[in-house]
Amino acid sequence: MQLILQSIFCCCLLAAVAPGVDSAKHDLKRSVWLQRSKRDLSLPALRALENRQFVRPDDVKDNLRPHSSTDISIRAKRSKNSINQSRRSGCSLGTCTVHVLAHRLHDLNNKLKIGNAPVDKINPYGYGRRRRSVPEKVLRLRKDGSGMRMVWSSSNSQSWLHKLEALLRRT
Amino acid sequence: MDRCCITSFILLLATSELFVVVLSENSTGGTKKNAHELNFTRHKILTAQFECYQKIMKDTNHNKTDGSMCKRTWDGWLCWEYMEPGVTSAQHCPNYFDDFDTSEVATKICTNSGHWFVHPESNRTWSNYTDCRLKSNDHKKTALNLYYLTLIGHGLSLISLFTSLGIFFYFKSLSCQRITLHKNLFFSFVLNSVITIIFFTCVANNQEVTEANPVSCKVSVFIHHYLLGCNYFWMLCEGIYLHTLIVVAVFAEKQHLMWYYLLGWGFPLIPAFIHAISRSYYYNDNCWISSNTSLLYIIHGPICAALLVNLFFLLNIVRVLITKLKVTHQAESSVYMRAVRATLILVPLLGIQYLLLPYKPDGRLASEIFIHTTNILMHYQGLLVATIFCFFNSEVQGVLRRHWNQYRTQFGGTFANTALRSASYTASSMTEVHRCYSIDGHMDSLNGKTFHNLESTILRSDNLYM
Repeated sequence: MQLILQSIFCCCLLAAVAPGVDSAKHDLKRSVWLQRSKRDLSLPALRALENRQFVRPDDVKDNLRPHSSTDISIRAKRSKNSINQSRRSGCSLGTCTVHVLAHRLHDLNNKLKIGNAPVDKINPYGYGRRRRSVPEKVLRLRKDGSGMRMVWSSSNSQSWLHKLEALLRRT
Repeated sequence: MDRCCITSFILLLATSELFVVVLSENSTGGTKKNAHELNFTRHKILTAQFECYQKIMKDTNHNKTDGSMCKRTWDGWLCWEYMEPGVTSAQHCPNYFDDFDTSEVATKICTNSGHWFVHPESNRTWSNYTDCRLKSNDHKKTALNLYYLTLIGHGLSLISLFTSLGIFFYFKSLSCQRITLHKNLFFSFVLNSVITIIFFTCVANNQEVTEANPVSCKVSVFIHHYLLGCNYFWMLCEGIYLHTLIVVAVFAEKQHLMWYYLLGWGFPLIPAFIHAISRSYYYNDNCWISSNTSLLYIIHGPICAALLVNLFFLLNIVRVLITKLKVTHQAESSVYMRAVRATLILVPLLGIQYLLLPYKPDGRLASEIFIHTTNILMHYQGLLVATIFCFFNSEVQGVLRRHWNQYRTQFGGTFANTALRSASYTASSMTEVHRCYSIDGHMDSLNGKTFHNLESTILRSDNLYM
C-alpha cells in the first residue's frame, strides 16, 4: 500500500517538474532578451517619448519580440515557426478547457474597444500600403554617415513623432 | 390651501433637481466612456506601430544588402516580417476592435517577384483582414452559450452534491471507509463548482476586474487551480481505494485514510504554488487569465498523470471482475454485460472521460466539437457522480426507504405495523453491516471455502464499487 502511494507521489512529482522545466527554459530565453532590451529602452529618444506619454515603457518592454540580427533566411524561418507556434500556443489538453473558455470570454467581452473595424480599411483600398517615410529614413542615413546617432537624435525623433501622430489620425 | 401649495412646490423643486443630477451624471459618463474607448484602441495601435518602426530602424543594414525578399512593413494595423517569395504570411488578428476575432488570421502574400501582394482592384499593396470579421459574432455567441452551459452545469451539480452530502452526513449508519471517500470526493466537487462559478462570473466575464488586475483576482485563480487539482486527485484516491480493495490485497486491514487526505487535499498545493510562482516571473498577465502559455501544464500535467493511473486501475478492475465472474460458469453475455456496466459506472467516478478526448484537434469544426463535448463532460460530472453513487446506491435507497417507513408507521400508529417494523429493521441492519465491512466478509468467505460462499463473494464484489 505505501509502496504504491510512494511510487505515485514520485510519478506525479516528476510530471509536475518536467513541464515546468521546459516552460522555464523557454521563458528564460525570453527573459534574457528582456534584459538586453532594457539597454535599448534607455535611449534619450525613449525618455523624450516617455515624457509625452504616448507609449508607456512597460508596454513596449513587455511586447517586444525576440530578435536576432544574424541572417535573413534564419530570421524568415524563425518567423514562420513563431507563427505556427503562436497558433498552437498554450494548453491543448482536455482538462484545460475551462481556462480556454475563460480566456475566450475575457477576450470577447472587452468593452474598451471601439465598436467595429472601419470597413474602408479592409476593402481593396484599405491597409497594406508601404509607408514612404521608411525610404526617406534610409536616404537620410546614407547621407549623414553615422546612422544610429542620427536616427535617435531629438530632432529626428520629433519629426518622426509628428508623422506617427499624422498616421494615428488617419487610422 | 396655502400650506398645500408650498408643499407641492417643494416636491416639484426636488424632482427637478433629481432630474438635473441624473442628466448630468449620464452626460459625464458618456463622455468619459467614449474617451476611454478611443484611448484604448489608439494606444494599442500606436504601441504596435512604434514596435514595428523600432524593428525597421534597427534592420536598415539588412535592408541594403538583400533585395530578393519582401521587406518588413507596417500596414496600419500589424507588422509583417521579412518573407520569402511565394510564401503567404499569416498572423492572428489584432484585438483592436470589438468585431475582430483574435483566433482568426490576417494574411499577406509575398509574390514570386519579391514584392508584397498588390490588389488588382486598387493597384495598391494590400493585407487581407476580411477573415477577422467573418465569424466574430458566431464566436461571441458560442462563448456565451458555453458560459451559460457552465453555470447551469455547476449549479445542477451543486444541488445534487449538497443533497448527497446531506444524506451521507445525516444517516450515520452509512458511515464506512468507502462512503468517507465519497464524501471527500463530493466535497471537492462542491468546492470546485463554487470557485468555478465565482471565477467565471467575477473574473473571466468581468472586464473591469481584469483591467484593474487586483491581487484578489490572482488569488482566486490560484484557489481555482488548487481546487481543480483536489477534484482530480480525489478521483485518484477513489481509484486507489477500489484497486486495492478488489485487485491487490483481499486480506488487507482497513486502509489508513490519512494517506488519502494527504494525496487528495495536500498534494495539489504543490503544482498550484509552482504555477503561481512561475506565472509571476514568466507570464504575469492581468489576472493570469490567458491560456496562451505552456505554464498551465504545471497544473494539468499531474492531473493527466492521475487520470492515466486511474485508467490503468479501471482496466485492471474490469479484468479481475471478468476473471472472477467466469469462474462461476455464468453465461458469457452476462459476464460481459456486467463488465460493461461496471465500466460505465466507474468512468465518471475516476474521470476517464477526459482521456477519450485527450488533445485539442486542429480543424475549426473538430475544435468546436471538442470544446463543447469537453465542457459538457466537465461541468456536469458532479451531477452524474452524485446521481450514480448516492441516489442510485442500493444502501442509500435502503436506508431512505427504511426511514420513510419508520416515519409513516410513527404517524400511522397501528399496533399491527410494529412487528413488521422490527422485522424489517433486523434484516436491513444485518445487510448493512455485512455490506459496509466487505473485507471481513471476504475473509469469512475464504475461511469457509465453499462454492456457495465463493459465489456470494463474487456477487458482493460485483456490487462493491457502488
